[in-house]
Amino acid sequence: MIFNREKNVKFVFLLPAVIFILTLVIFPLVYSLRLSFCLARFGKNPIFIGLENYIDLLKDYKFWDTLKITLIFVLLTVSTEFFLGLALALLFNREIRGRRYFRALLTLPMFATPVAIGYLGMTIFYEEAGPINNILALIGGPQKVPWLSNPTLAFVSISLLDIWQWTPFCFVILLAGLQSLPEQVHEAASLDGVSGIQSLRYIILPLLEPVIVIVLLLRIVEAFKVFDIPFSLTGGGPGRATEFYSLFTYRTGLKYFNFGYASSLAYILLAIVILIITLFLKRVREVFE
Amino acid sequence: MNITSRGKSKMGNVFVLLGVLIAVIWAFSPFYWAIISSFKLPKDTFTISYIPFFQFEPTLQNWINEINFRGREIWNGIKNSIIVSISASLLALFLGTMAGYALARFNFQKMKNKDIAVFFLSQRILPPVVMVIPFFLIMKSLKLLDTRLALILINTIFSLPFAVLIMRSIFKELPAELEEAALVDGCSRYSAFLRVLLPLAVPGLVATALICLAFTWNEFLFALVLTYKKAVTMPIVIAGTAHTRGVDFWYVATRSLFAIIPPTVIAIALQKFIVRGLTFGAVKG
Repeated sequence: MIFNREKNVKFVFLLPAVIFILTLVIFPLVYSLRLSFCLARFGKNPIFIGLENYIDLLKDYKFWDTLKITLIFVLLTVSTEFFLGLALALLFNREIRGRRYFRALLTLPMFATPVAIGYLGMTIFYEEAGPINNILALIGGPQKVPWLSNPTLAFVSISLLDIWQWTPFCFVILLAGLQSLPEQVHEAASLDGVSGIQSLRYIILPLLEPVIVIVLLLRIVEAFKVFDIPFSLTGGGPGRATEFYSLFTYRTGLKYFNFGYASSLAYILLAIVILIITLFLKRVREVFE
Repeated sequence: MNITSRGKSKMGNVFVLLGVLIAVIWAFSPFYWAIISSFKLPKDTFTISYIPFFQFEPTLQNWINEINFRGREIWNGIKNSIIVSISASLLALFLGTMAGYALARFNFQKMKNKDIAVFFLSQRILPPVVMVIPFFLIMKSLKLLDTRLALILINTIFSLPFAVLIMRSIFKELPAELEEAALVDGCSRYSAFLRVLLPLAVPGLVATALICLAFTWNEFLFALVLTYKKAVTMPIVIAGTAHTRGVDFWYVATRSLFAIIPPTVIAIALQKFIVRGLTFGAVKG
């Protein structure tokens, strides 16, 4: 090599991954950005129509519906997962015999194939003789709750599965964060005269902030992607009650083959996610310092 | 470290234990439901029975049926899933280990290291549905639809952020003096990396590969769009039939378990590493 070898070594290590991403991610992204300005349907050449897709989209009540339920879903599931996860982490942050095994059991839901969980959910929430309605009847609760045929309850069912699957994520990471705090913090927190809530609010949570940022960021981003469970559990129904953003975009593009319109939908989602990331960006950069 | 609950009442401990117990039952009950349903005969399905041997006679019949009558379909799905997830994980690991090393050991000037790290993270933040349409059209024009190669490529993209950032955090923890000593002894950068540093990173490499493996195994959206027959993976095999037979509990349960078991076994193997893995090395567990 003619150049300074030492200087080039770092690029030899870094570039393969960067080139891989540039060709396989950036190129498709540019391609679909172009599509979003086109009338592009299956088997026809795309025609440039400028911003028309985006204008149509703003007038499309389906777009606003799906955006609304997706935002509610993200807020509802992420906040529930976070607070449940935090409560569990605080609960586990002490000597418990066999804690390692309990923690291991609690991490399993995250890894269970989501689409399989969705189908399993069809049996779990089954109206006639599913286990949930069985148990509700057994303890004298409401009879034959229409989990999957009532729009609100279908939304709740999907949220419950998501909460089941991802509360463990918040839990293990927050627990790791708690356990990495120095001993003195917990000692200070357990001083006489400081209530549990106060020490949590003024001592523990502020110290835990970097970890909380990571947990929330990753969960919010993942929650926006939700696809597998609504696809398999309700298919977006009843009606369009659980047609979350990714599912709506997928159907527009790959079921009705309206590629241009679907691309503009996708880009709006990307813009929303980028907007959220930007709020976190400074903190995230610090974490990867 | 732990809070020792000294001075607190026994009642407090009972509540803690109760809380732990409820959490564990809540987390495990869907698995339990799937497992018992897969051992139930159709006639036992709609009865209220949760305890095998006492309330119903467990049977292997569902598993036998599944393997005998639909074995070919399942085997095809498992085979594709294994090939796709192993190839994608290894490819991501290969590219990611190198890039992670570069980020851990060198300083980049034009774009700072942390910005490059965030660039890699952004591949994971990108909603997959944004990629699905262009990727479908590109693979279609390359005549790569319904091939494992298309799935391997796309899954490598989504695994790469894990590989780069986790390996970066692992290399950062290994002392730089190790390679420097090797360099002084006349090794090149490459052989110092390969012979000195990489062997020390093996546990991390294995764990990173496992985490990529589990998430690739579970990937559904791209498999749904890019495959239809030959290259279908296990999640697609389940999706293909379950909708028409949603109320056949025994059938859905047996099938779902075929998909769920491998990644959950991986999760057990990953325990020590799970926090670092899930947070891209940002939080140590």
